[in-house]
Amino acid sequence: MTISGSRLPAAEGVSTAPRIGRAYRVRSLAAKLALVPTLLVMLSCYYGSVTWTVYISMTRSFLLPVYKFAGTAQYERLFATPRWQVAYGNMFVFGALDIIGTLGLGILLAILLDRAVRFEGVFRTIMLYPLSISFIVTGLTWQWVLSPTIGFQHLVRDLGWTDFVFDWITQPDRAIYTLVFAGIWHQSGLIMAIMLAGLRGVDREIWRAARIEGIPTWRTYVSIILPMLRPLIVTCVVLIAIAVVKSYDLVVAMTNGGPGFSSDLPGKFVVDFEFERANIGQASAAATVMLGSVLAIVSPYLYFELARKNR
Amino acid sequence: MSAVSVSGLSKSFGHLRVLKDIDLPIEAGDFTVLLGPSGCGKSTLLNAIAGLEDTDGGVIEIDGADVTHREPSKRGIAMVFQSYALYPTMSVRKNLSFGLRVRSVPRQEVVRRVDWAARLLQIDELLDRKPSQLSGGQRQRVAIGRALVQHAKVFLFDEPLSNLDAKLRTEMRVELKRLHKELGATIIYVTHDQIEAMTLATRIAVMRAGRIEQYAAPDDLYEAPATLFVASFVGSPAMNFMRGRLLAGNAPVVQVGSAHLPLNGYRFRTSPAPGQEVVVGIRPEHVELARDAPQERIMDAETLFMEPMGADTLGWFQFGEHRLSARLVPQVARGVSGRVGLAVLSDHISLFDPSSEARL
Amino acid sequence: MTVAQRNARIGRIGLYTLLVWICLFFSIPLLVVIATSLKSSDEVRTFSIFTLPSAPGIDAWIKAWSSACTGLNCGGVRVGFWNSVRILIPSVIISVMAGAVTGYALSHWRIRGANVIMLLLLFCAFIPYQVILYPLVKTFSTIGIYSSLPCIVAVHIVFGLPVMSLLFRNFYAGLPEELVKAARIDGAGFWRIFAFVMLPMSVNILIVATILQTTGIWNDYLLGLIFAGRDNMPMTVQLNAIATTSTGVIEYNVNTAAALLTALPPLLIYFVSGRYFVRGITAGAVKG
Repeated sequence: MTISGSRLPAAEGVSTAPRIGRAYRVRSLAAKLALVPTLLVMLSCYYGSVTWTVYISMTRSFLLPVYKFAGTAQYERLFATPRWQVAYGNMFVFGALDIIGTLGLGILLAILLDRAVRFEGVFRTIMLYPLSISFIVTGLTWQWVLSPTIGFQHLVRDLGWTDFVFDWITQPDRAIYTLVFAGIWHQSGLIMAIMLAGLRGVDREIWRAARIEGIPTWRTYVSIILPMLRPLIVTCVVLIAIAVVKSYDLVVAMTNGGPGFSSDLPGKFVVDFEFERANIGQASAAATVMLGSVLAIVSPYLYFELARKNR
Repeated sequence: MSAVSVSGLSKSFGHLRVLKDIDLPIEAGDFTVLLGPSGCGKSTLLNAIAGLEDTDGGVIEIDGADVTHREPSKRGIAMVFQSYALYPTMSVRKNLSFGLRVRSVPRQEVVRRVDWAARLLQIDELLDRKPSQLSGGQRQRVAIGRALVQHAKVFLFDEPLSNLDAKLRTEMRVELKRLHKELGATIIYVTHDQIEAMTLATRIAVMRAGRIEQYAAPDDLYEAPATLFVASFVGSPAMNFMRGRLLAGNAPVVQVGSAHLPLNGYRFRTSPAPGQEVVVGIRPEHVELARDAPQERIMDAETLFMEPMGADTLGWFQFGEHRLSARLVPQVARGVSGRVGLAVLSDHISLFDPSSEARL
Repeated sequence: MTVAQRNARIGRIGLYTLLVWICLFFSIPLLVVIATSLKSSDEVRTFSIFTLPSAPGIDAWIKAWSSACTGLNCGGVRVGFWNSVRILIPSVIISVMAGAVTGYALSHWRIRGANVIMLLLLFCAFIPYQVILYPLVKTFSTIGIYSSLPCIVAVHIVFGLPVMSLLFRNFYAGLPEELVKAARIDGAGFWRIFAFVMLPMSVNILIVATILQTTGIWNDYLLGLIFAGRDNMPMTVQLNAIATTSTGVIEYNVNTAAALLTALPPLLIYFVSGRYFVRGITAGAVKG
């Protein structure tokens, strides 16, 4: 009579095969259990909350949530609100300028550092430190720098041009543009770091081939190298765009949405309406629009990224 | 068709001397191969001729003009790289035409050249594809096409076939030879594969440790190698080497072990000294089983084993302290065992100085 | 020198000049703030921030630290500093550890639907805070811990989880599978492999993750404002309150000093850890 694990349950420790099988399942269970907290948080705090917010945006809530379905009434009111119209429009203006400026400067810096041989460490340190600074400090700093009374305008007037005017930060129709300065200052370093890594990954023989064909350096970057980095550039655009949509700290510190509401952004609108104005319905509607904007940016991006990786 | 002349070229990377006083006179229309093991400096030499690397001394002339300090694009050269270096985001057509358009070559001329190159290399059906949609061999042809449309005076190839599989490599070798014939171009080609070199080249420069050991036609390299290194590097299976001594007398003879091998007709480059220690080189196809040779010429050897290679069999024998290989006909090889007598076709002996490794 | 070499030399000079100018753009705001913070109160009445202090002193710093007024109290940013520290330590430790375990579970253990989970996490990382603020507020106040230290710590953990999980998951996925397999054959289980095989190899990524979380949590404003409660306001909130309290003359020297004090910890971490910081920021940015 042969001894096998399956016939002698009492001695299942004897044969190795069933023991490993059983132990494998146990260990795998531990892994699944370890994931439970994260999954719970994700499903409740994120997806649950999102659903809740979207639901509120479709009810007739005002101060407190009132769960009476109202369809798109909140949204209609929202888009008829002048302050929201300004904030929503600002998002696109600020976003476009911030993306173009940050991307442009970041790529330029990456190219310059790709060409430069010395002092790279020093240059990188100087370009990247703004990333370690909070948006509050960034906003305050640029508020001071761009202030007409103590900042740039004052400086230029002191130097002799007594008629110089640069008071955008106090002008309702110009205030939103001042945010762009701070945004570019803060994030160009990040784009530079990402693009520089990309540039360095390009096969050096392509450079040699272009050199032999007599293609000038700038043309090589524009027509050959940068097109090769298109996926990376798209990633950078997505990152900057997401940061624009989320903006809150920067607006608060720099202009506090002012003068009036001229430099308001959706991020601030939502928080103000939720807590100061205590209008949950409008705040939720605005938040849902924010979410929609993010999805509109991220979904096609992720879709193309996944498609590209699976090819 | 242009001549290329390299004189006294040197290059160092820090303390490492990579090229030592290179002289390379290349005639117009030549297919010159730079051959050698990795690290011998062949790629560096090619890059120096291309202008991709600066040099620390020496002169490079193309078509009589001194190009030593000129940018690569002003030397009249075109280059094909090991990894093809095609522009990934451009179609084949754009890859071929981009360099020309940047140089403001007129539209019609560009179209004419691109079509000509595409037809010549049989890639005219691939013109609208991107490099990622092409096979290795097709990419290689596009890379060659890009070089052709430049209408360069000299074409440089940097190990272009190393990334291809064996079958494709043999096909491309034929292509390259055909191109060379049709275009009559001056070509400088780098490889570590000696078979490639032997089949393609009109002249080969064998390099080792930054120096050219010999620059000659393939046959000359094979029959009369100038140094021990060239003799051992060129030719497969490799040459046999034995230690021996020159004997004094009316007819020059070299003594190897107990055998005396005659050297009739050997062209000495320096006057031989009797009693001089030499290294005797003889290729396996020139070693045979002794039949009617005089006793003193026979090498008494012990059979080791047979290596069947298809058309012939390589027999391995132990002669004193030396291991020798001989090319045998398979049927004969089957009957060989134990002690045998080997003889050498004395017309094909090479003699080398043991210390300088130069041919005597 | 040949024409080509001379052109190359001019090109080099132009390149470095441009780089220096751009570096000025990056550094001048900070330098200006530092200069202003060293000025005396008299100098600050009508001045330009672009001038150097005539008699640099750290009076403004001392005032900013201990007695600047936020409109609610006059205790300086010192209060905020310690609040931020108390918020930071548990938040960073727990979120980094949670992210590590999650990333580990998702990378080396066959979990059905792991890819779906990662995609869901990725989406979470993109969701703006504002969208889930109200539900969180309601939930915490129902539980009863709204506006307190545990509340803000929990919030930071929640918001840090997706990025941390993905960060660690990508790192662990790059480690050879054989390590885990060999340990399993030796009889080790999930937690033991984590403690004795994974963690020792994770030093670099732990540093990167810690820096990323520390910088993010220290610099946070919105979450601290809403969830921390009046007694636990982080330094950034204190700073903004100080800088925007406009009673009488604006003491720019104090405000700038307060700003610098707030910016100092992450800035120091940045200067000390350079490479890790960059890796963290780029990894956190280029998720997956």
